[in-house]
Amino acid sequence: MQNFGSSQRSSRVFIFTVFILISFLILVAGFFNLQVIKHHYYLEVSLNNVIRPVKLNPVRGLIYDKNHRILVDNRPSFSAALIPAHTTRQTIREIARRFHVDESAIRKKFRRASKYQPVIIARDVPKKQVIYLEENQYFLPGLEVIPDFKRYYPPDVNSPHIFGYIGEVNPDEQKKHPQYDLGDMIGKTGLERYYDLDLRGTKGVRYVRVDASGKILGDYDTQLNEPPVHGSDLYLYMDYNLQKFGESLLEGHRGALVAIVVRNGGIIALVSKPDYDIRLLSGKIDSKVWSSLLNDENHPLFSRAIQSTYPPGSTYKIVAALAALQEGIITPQWKAFCPGYFRLGRRVIRCWKASGHGWLDLYGAIKNSCNVYFYQLGLKIGLPVWSKYSNLLRFGHKTGIDLPGEKAGLVPSVAYFNRVYGEHGWTKGNLANLAIGQGELLVTPLQLAQFAMILANRGMYYDPHLVDHLFNYQTHKIVEFPIKSHYVKGVNSDYFDVVREGMHQVVNGGTGWLGKVPGIDMAGKTGTAQNPHGEPHAWFMGFAPYNHPEVAIAVVLENAGSGGGHAAPVARKFLEMYFYHKLIPRPVVKKDSLKTDSGLNPLQTVPVDSLRPLPIIH
Amino acid sequence: MQKFLRTFDLGIFLPTLILLVVGLFSVYSATYLTSSSYFSRQLIYAFIGILLIVSMVFLPYKIIYNFSYLFYLLALAMLLLVFFMGVKGFGAERWLAIGPIRLQPSEFAKIATVLAVARYLSQPYRNINEWKHLAVVFLMILIPFMLIAKQPDLGTSLVFLALIIPMLYMAGISWFFLFVIISPLVTMIVAFNLYAFMGWILLITIVLILAHQKALLKFIVFLMHLAVGAITPVLWKTLRPYQQQRILTFLQPEKDPRGAGYQIIQSKVAIGSGGVWGKGFLQGSQSHLNFLPAHHTDFIFSVIGEEQGFVGIVLILAVFLFLFLYLLYLSNQVKSPFARLSLIGLMTILLFHTLINIAMTIGLAPVTGLPLPFLSYGGSFMLTSCLLIGITMNFSKNRYHI
Repeated sequence: MQNFGSSQRSSRVFIFTVFILISFLILVAGFFNLQVIKHHYYLEVSLNNVIRPVKLNPVRGLIYDKNHRILVDNRPSFSAALIPAHTTRQTIREIARRFHVDESAIRKKFRRASKYQPVIIARDVPKKQVIYLEENQYFLPGLEVIPDFKRYYPPDVNSPHIFGYIGEVNPDEQKKHPQYDLGDMIGKTGLERYYDLDLRGTKGVRYVRVDASGKILGDYDTQLNEPPVHGSDLYLYMDYNLQKFGESLLEGHRGALVAIVVRNGGIIALVSKPDYDIRLLSGKIDSKVWSSLLNDENHPLFSRAIQSTYPPGSTYKIVAALAALQEGIITPQWKAFCPGYFRLGRRVIRCWKASGHGWLDLYGAIKNSCNVYFYQLGLKIGLPVWSKYSNLLRFGHKTGIDLPGEKAGLVPSVAYFNRVYGEHGWTKGNLANLAIGQGELLVTPLQLAQFAMILANRGMYYDPHLVDHLFNYQTHKIVEFPIKSHYVKGVNSDYFDVVREGMHQVVNGGTGWLGKVPGIDMAGKTGTAQNPHGEPHAWFMGFAPYNHPEVAIAVVLENAGSGGGHAAPVARKFLEMYFYHKLIPRPVVKKDSLKTDSGLNPLQTVPVDSLRPLPIIH
Repeated sequence: MQKFLRTFDLGIFLPTLILLVVGLFSVYSATYLTSSSYFSRQLIYAFIGILLIVSMVFLPYKIIYNFSYLFYLLALAMLLLVFFMGVKGFGAERWLAIGPIRLQPSEFAKIATVLAVARYLSQPYRNINEWKHLAVVFLMILIPFMLIAKQPDLGTSLVFLALIIPMLYMAGISWFFLFVIISPLVTMIVAFNLYAFMGWILLITIVLILAHQKALLKFIVFLMHLAVGAITPVLWKTLRPYQQQRILTFLQPEKDPRGAGYQIIQSKVAIGSGGVWGKGFLQGSQSHLNFLPAHHTDFIFSVIGEEQGFVGIVLILAVFLFLFLYLLYLSNQVKSPFARLSLIGLMTILLFHTLINIAMTIGLAPVTGLPLPFLSYGGSFMLTSCLLIGITMNFSKNRYHI
């Protein structure tokens, strides 16, 4: 240390001393203020009364559709709670008897809770009970009736897979999100879960003076109280009438329907059937109902649109076509001959049309969904290229929809096959199968709808989202979400045009002709996916209008049969409702007036089945 | 006797002993209803602490000096280790578990940093008024600060920031440099009000004109203030509302009625109800009814305030004040610059803990989780404080020698 003399040092020590003295004087003044000047006030507060913060529950945010129709609402309800510090044994016994719970269960809840905070024993207590409890509160020390809210759904609203349900927070969730208090109701599935932090709002607090037995004597200092803040309201992208119509189309089926606006990724319908009555899981959940839902073999709790993965069947031929075009393996004019079967080594695999398609170019192969053509194409492009383009076109990845629990599906790669079958355990047969959308490949209905959006936009796509915007009550402002747009890098727009033209022909005299909406030029592709559970799954994906697309759609019906015969009409009806707000009657076909033999009537000659079960002949 | 007093400085030891005893009584009063194990554990810690003090007095002075850099590097290594194998304690990763022993490296790092900075500055050729040396000192303090703030243990990390000004000040930093270090903080605060900002800039301009420094340097300092003033409101606006809320809550705890505000309200009621003479030992109703959270650790002073009253508080504050002023006086007496700066730094650690903790109990400071030296329950900090006192007594013993 240089240039620092001892006299200078002493003066600095003096200044430091003065600083310390002033700090201590401030502290002494603070204690003097509390203990001498305001002593009487604080003594009064402390003598018999103590202060307790009472949490005020906020209203959970509402969910609206595009036309500001309320889909999810709230109704007031009452919860019965106990404050452990003031609860006597008698109170526990009485409450346990009234609400049919175990005394030991209440004690167990107490152990996890803070002594001076209410522990909720029963929710949604009926009005009669509330009146009884409030009248007898004097004899039940520790009991508190807490005003709360429960979810309410207008009569014709269901869609449990979109909205989800709420339930009491469990210790694991509390560990993950420390902002949840014990006993909070939080979203468990669906939008309720995904947007829980927005929907839940902010709790308020009221300071009350309580006596030693926990009875509330009055407010402590109203200036300290904070009102609760209403949770943010969600505004969905969909018109609920259309969603409702979509749900009615799939009634009685197992399956899913997804429709997306191709210009921004907004979801206009997300149907999953079978479902359950959303009211069963609102408020208190009956354990019998819960276990019957859980054990139902149709899995109604499962959101098929985003959580079920299926083999996509022939819809996936478009992926193989795009890969082959972009890699320069074929031109659209490249032709293959379909004799009705395909010889692979010693095996013979049949095309779905036993008589064969004859010579086909790419357009014809898509239009007629010829298996033999795509077996050959699959062998030409090979597994690495096929998986590369599958990934480019977003298969095997989550779409990022604003719902929890989405599945990514499965796109097998060379590494995957080596792992499952061993280095040389898999053959070209596996590859040929993948090219027609069979085998290990698995996709979700949402992914296929996204694929239809990619095709409609020639490579552009947007993150699918249900919520358009939300309204925040703290700031009193609308919160918009940025639309995230992406581009499929490495696939030329011209090649998209080729497969689009093929898909155009599918609905105009091809396998998907039953999906065509009268008066709307559109494109689509059918799929009939073999599976070990019985009849094939029926698929249809498409977009409309053809030249300036607005909407992309994907439909799957489990074990329903052929895609052209079962899934395509469902998509057509949905699109008719979308474009015309009504169903268009079908022309009545009189058999004798048309020359069915000569192939003029598409009803008889145009196939509705793109892939029949494949018997492999050795 | 004369010789004993020279080796064993009662001016430090007696206040420490008084505080330790008061702490034992308070911890007993705060916990006797719940569990007796707190008191017996605290008794063992205090006993070990006194042994630690005595053993430090007889440690050769040279060892402290020679190993100071090594201690510092060791502390940094341990802080880094906490990142990778830290044990969760109350949500933040701050413990290092070695078998059954749990270490809190941040406590050790406080003392190690003080000693290392003191050694660095005490070299005769080092001049704190040179940018190069000043930067090294800042780096030495800010590295452990960042590591601890990341844990995240904001309270403990602030202790490191508190070290900067007293140590530089007593190392002889020029008033101009001190001004350059402190004034941006004021600029950040006044930046939200245009008139206050303009008045402050005017004041800075006058100070700069009067200062005997190079014109270029003055100009840079001036520009720096303008930049800080312009950027702060912009930065503030880029924060999310909840982040702003968190900072405001930290500064004004009573505005957070759900968390920290509740503790402070209860603490104020406990202290205020104590009155001039207090409710008497073991008679504090507020603290015993468990309405006061953490009453045996961070809020031990509220228990004392309730039971011993204003008179008791003033007496204890007087003991603390005596200890700090005596250490300050001692720092002016010791011959070695290393010991002098170390004493300032060590005293600052205790002073900062004491002021922030006590001010917190009456709602004048944020709830940071800083314990009160010698009084709060807790072994780790108790031993750190005793180690620190032991080192100061060692310096006192060797004050004329080196």
